[in-house]
Amino acid sequence: MDAKRNMAKEPQPRESGNRQLEGLGLESVIARAQGRDAEALGEIYHRYARRVFGLCRYLLDSRESAEDATSEVFVKLQRSVESYDGSIPFPRWLLRVAGNQCIDVLRRRQRGLKVFVEVESESAVIDAASPEPSPLGAVISAEERAKVRDSIARLPENYRVPLLLRYYGELSYDEIAQELELDRNNVAALIFRAKKELRRRMAPGSK
Amino acid sequence: MECYSEQMCALAVDGELAPEEARRLREHLATCRRCREVVDALRAENRVLSESLNELPEEAPVAFAHSGRSWVWGDLAVMAAVLALGTITTIWFHQLSIPAALEWFDPFSSSGRTNLLFTVSEQIATGGTAMLTDYAAVVGFVSLLLLLGWGALLLGRGRVRQRGLGLLLVLLMLVVLSLPGFALERRHAEFVTVPANETVDDTLLAAGNTVRVEGVINGDLLAFGQTVEVRGTIKGDLISFGKRTVVSGTVEGSIYDFSQSLDVDGQLGHSIYGWVQSLRLNNRGHVGEGIVVGAADVTLEGDVKRSASIYAGSVDVSSSIGRDLTIHGGALTLTGTARVGGDLSARVRKLSDVHIDDGATIAGKRDIQLKVGDNKFAHPRFYFHQAIWLGAAMLVGWLGVILFPGFFRAATQAVGSGWVSLGLGVAVLAGVPVALIVAAITLVGFPLALMSLAAYLAAIYLAKIWVGAFLGRILLKSSGTTKGDWMLGLLVGLLILTVVGFIPYLGGLVHFGVVCLGLGAFAVELYRTARPVATA
Repeated sequence: MDAKRNMAKEPQPRESGNRQLEGLGLESVIARAQGRDAEALGEIYHRYARRVFGLCRYLLDSRESAEDATSEVFVKLQRSVESYDGSIPFPRWLLRVAGNQCIDVLRRRQRGLKVFVEVESESAVIDAASPEPSPLGAVISAEERAKVRDSIARLPENYRVPLLLRYYGELSYDEIAQELELDRNNVAALIFRAKKELRRRMAPGSK
Repeated sequence: MECYSEQMCALAVDGELAPEEARRLREHLATCRRCREVVDALRAENRVLSESLNELPEEAPVAFAHSGRSWVWGDLAVMAAVLALGTITTIWFHQLSIPAALEWFDPFSSSGRTNLLFTVSEQIATGGTAMLTDYAAVVGFVSLLLLLGWGALLLGRGRVRQRGLGLLLVLLMLVVLSLPGFALERRHAEFVTVPANETVDDTLLAAGNTVRVEGVINGDLLAFGQTVEVRGTIKGDLISFGKRTVVSGTVEGSIYDFSQSLDVDGQLGHSIYGWVQSLRLNNRGHVGEGIVVGAADVTLEGDVKRSASIYAGSVDVSSSIGRDLTIHGGALTLTGTARVGGDLSARVRKLSDVHIDDGATIAGKRDIQLKVGDNKFAHPRFYFHQAIWLGAAMLVGWLGVILFPGFFRAATQAVGSGWVSLGLGVAVLAGVPVALIVAAITLVGFPLALMSLAAYLAAIYLAKIWVGAFLGRILLKSSGTTKGDWMLGLLVGLLILTVVGFIPYLGGLVHFGVVCLGLGAFAVELYRTARPVATA
């Protein structure tokens, strides 16, 4: 994939301040950051801290842990940004790093227990497709979206993490598989089941 | 052609099918309405998921590594200008020779400050006491109703378990007990009086324009009023928040006084502890134990059986002090009739302000030292103390950032919201004590008030840590993201605050600002933390 095009896909900076690099393209900012330019690293922080924090906040259980993880990601970025080669869009690369950080945190908490257990992509998912309306598809209002977030937050970790990496982090199945140390089919099955479980919880009448 | 499974469709929608497979599926969709509907539904689902997740539910970080423009040089310049102006005004005010009679008006003198304090507290006492007692009654009554309602609801739903019922009963008891009429007798009126023929068996909480006791109170008297007069007998302690407190009867316990003026003309069983503008112990007055008081003017004409420790602008003693007399302050006069049973030690500004009449008797040592000229910066002990102080603050900061990393960093960051924190801090600093008094008046609220008081005092201490860390980070331009950075910032910030703290006048203003900023940041963070989190 064309690295330059990927880099050009950047979110809007959320704050305006007296930042000299504000108007600079992402590509140059990253190049400067790779040369250990503190201001450039600061600029990356400004542009992406919110998004990274969002992922950490969804993956971890408290605001404090999420802030710590976000800090860690940007501290490590000072070194790891050198390894960014432009093969995937920078935001996605950064969110992968953030995902890794959070998964490390989750693993440490479980003290070596396997957090993400493999599931078989077995019969339950081979049923022919049923065109029943999904309660998720009908979500329109802000309250309903808040309920979606709430239901995701209550999913078991096994389902929640891959689902968030896919739909918030926009990571591919392969990337998620790498992060969770699972194979791709397992990731597909986990995401599929996570969505089924979510539909069940969002269905009218279920609490 | 056979239809695809839902999982295959999901893979396709997620863009995860191999190109060849994806092409076959597209061809199938062109002919199969059923599968097309499934794919459409899955697409809609994905869109909802992404949209929902991309609306961050709450508190995105306020860019804690780079503080943005919330506290930029402009704000600092305004702050510096205000401080400079304040300092110049203060110095000018001090250089004016203010007639002694008007000294109470000088907000920078100790008597001026006490006057200001008591004018404010008197406002609260006269206007606010009605509110306090009514408030306590209303809060108690409403809590009772809510608890009864809650109990009825739980019973109705059959959800009461044994523990829940027990808890409910305890709460009910507490509220019922806290309602006026139990344990503590309350009286509120323009003119509260305990007439000569009356005996109050409980502790009395009296609030009014004038509180006068001519009879007997077997418990303590807690009095708020413009004038508090004790002509009868209080068997317990007298705790007074009056503009003017006069004791011409008997208090068998101690007097805790926060008044503008305290006149003791009668008998006191134990001690006087007070923070007053003027304390006068008349010649008929007698203190059974000692005196510990901070005041602008102190006149002792009556006897004190044990020691007196006085922090005051001017002290006149013409009576007998049973043991030691310790004075920190401006002027000291011992008349010919004065008698000190122990040592006299005084720390004064000018020797010429110390007048000890030849007739005065001092049984022990006479130790009079000048405060001025005693340059504290010349003593190694001073640096030692500062180092210990700094070390303690660093230790507290370190513990804080280890135990509550998120909260401490966020509070440091919240300092950066500048004027908001400052304003909120002033409100918290002034408002919390009032809220605490209101809470303490109800029995239920008392433990809560104690806990809140502890938190309040802790936050006042922590204020300098958050502000110090913030200041250090700005100056070092560090990201503050690691604990090491944060601690280094704290060290630099605290060093600067400590040094600035020794500048006359300016130091006091800075210290006040630091406390307000820190308290404000604490309040902001507490609010954010306490807010329910949608995703947790």
